Amino acid sequence: MAAITLQGVTKRYGSVTAVQALDLAIHEGEFMVLLGPSGCGKTTTLNMIAGLEEISDGTLLFDANDVTRLPPHQREVAMVFQSYALYPNKTVAENIAFPLKLRRVPKAEIERAVAGVAEQLELTPLLQRRPNQLSGGQRQRVALGRAIVRNPSVFLMDEPLSNLDATLRLSMRSLIKRLHHRLKATFVYVTHDQAEALTLADRIAVMQGGVVQQLDTPEGIYERPANTFVASFLGSPQINLLREGLPRPSWVAEGREVIIGLRPEDVARPAAGLVTLGGRVELVSPLGSETQLEVALGSASVTLRVPKDWRVNEGETLEFGIDPARLHVFDATTERRIAP
Amino acid sequence: MARRLMLALFSALFVLYVAGPVLWLLSSSLQMESEITAVPPNWLPPHPGMHNFVAIFSAGDSAAYTNRGIAGFLPSGAANLLPSLYNSLQVGLWVAALNLLVSLTAAYAIAVIDFKGRRATLYTVLATRVIPDIALVVPLFLVIRNLGLINSIGALVVTYLAVTVPFTIFILISYFEGIPRDLYRASRIDGCGHWGALRHVYLPLSLPALVAALMFAFLTSWNEFLFALVLTQSAAAQTLPIIIAGFVMDFTTSFSFVNAAGVIAILPPVLLAVIFQRYIVSGLTAGAVKG
Repeated sequence: MAAITLQGVTKRYGSVTAVQALDLAIHEGEFMVLLGPSGCGKTTTLNMIAGLEEISDGTLLFDANDVTRLPPHQREVAMVFQSYALYPNKTVAENIAFPLKLRRVPKAEIERAVAGVAEQLELTPLLQRRPNQLSGGQRQRVALGRAIVRNPSVFLMDEPLSNLDATLRLSMRSLIKRLHHRLKATFVYVTHDQAEALTLADRIAVMQGGVVQQLDTPEGIYERPANTFVASFLGSPQINLLREGLPRPSWVAEGREVIIGLRPEDVARPAAGLVTLGGRVELVSPLGSETQLEVALGSASVTLRVPKDWRVNEGETLEFGIDPARLHVFDATTERRIAP
Repeated sequence: MARRLMLALFSALFVLYVAGPVLWLLSSSLQMESEITAVPPNWLPPHPGMHNFVAIFSAGDSAAYTNRGIAGFLPSGAANLLPSLYNSLQVGLWVAALNLLVSLTAAYAIAVIDFKGRRATLYTVLATRVIPDIALVVPLFLVIRNLGLINSIGALVVTYLAVTVPFTIFILISYFEGIPRDLYRASRIDGCGHWGALRHVYLPLSLPALVAALMFAFLTSWNEFLFALVLTQSAAAQTLPIIIAGFVMDFTTSFSFVNAAGVIAILPPVLLAVIFQRYIVSGLTAGAVKG
């Protein structure tokens, strides 16, 4: 196992800075997710950890060892790619065996390891097939197999589920989570999918513009977003961010310009202790287990998620209660979170 | 209907235009000198025989001149034909092999490794092919002479490499760039250095381009005339095109003999083309379009 430490790691392409002085300590055995929109520098960061991209500035440590200038094959990391990256000219068995073959592991041992991995990932009947004879899910399982067969201390995953359909994505997600529990290795996982990040991560680093915006547990990121970017990047539907129309918590200094955030699910029937708001219902979208509403609030409109037994029709006026303690407050200028 | 008829007609004409001379070469190589020059011409050999080929293969013997009566006139350089065939094969194989070795590593470096000045390197290599061969003949002659390589197979190999390597690098780069980058990354992660990535990823996946490169280099050196004419002066190093051209420039030309020599000259490339035909087609198209 290995802890990964990035100290002031920077990546520049000519005059463009993709990752800027990144400090990040990934603990041994931790599942770290790098989350952000495309172009935020998360994949570049992963590639620098892998050794596939040179680090322009800064230091990268695996435990106490400086690996900043080490080529990828000397770093002992395994990686799973979005495109699966299976060798098309090799069979499934040869793909999985390849890293061991390069390490001159004895043949009998390779066969044993491949058989073991194939059984874990339910690939045994497919071992003699070539990648073009496999479905997307099977290919990604082979890619996982090729990664775990070496027993590496660090797993790097670059959006491994993005090319799979929704159902498959869910089952692969739980497979990866179980894999992490069993292997207890350090996982670094890049995704732009917040659901993947929230379900898999021990901690999430939310990135934008080559900078980590917030590093926290999934709960911490969701409950206490550090700024409006993080607040709106996590949560579906998005958090409502309004400059006016939502009640200001009493602790916010008079005259200070703030943005108030309300998560769509943080509403209830009007009750004592709640602030009651009301507005015209503009759109009703039933989602089965619950209903999504768009409600006019002054000049703005907010999205709310309410239990399905709230029977409301478009055009009606809806009264709902919100708990001021559940509101998120951000400075209007810096867009950073402010707390009492 | 009329359209299809026209299409068939023009296709037939085109095939005749391209294949006609080759067919005549084949036909006349099996005829006697008097039959070739007959009017009207004998499109098919009236008395097909291998006498011209026998004459070629025995031209080196002192007894060969007894064949004169069968094959017509034997050109003065006839005895050099087989040695020149051997020279051509040697040059072609060396050029094909070395061209691939040099171009492969260069193309890998330019296509895959991110180093400063890689575009400049590629353009410099390509720019060397902008200069027409005729402008290079005299300077090359001087360089080769100063190196003491005149009249050697080495001179031809080195010169032809200068012609084939830039194009081959270019073909291979386009092909390599079409191979998904993630495969390279995966191989590096799995434990390959650059040699490993070249061997395990780029070589097996670019087989068509490699075959095309081999063929291109072999054919280029097989056909080349100008440099061979200037850089070689005796049968020790002269290649087939030079010797065959010499037959025609003689005071008398034995067409039967020349045509039989022509058949022998086109055999190796045709054999190569037949063997590698399925690779060449996909190799050339795949290398042409970057994707």
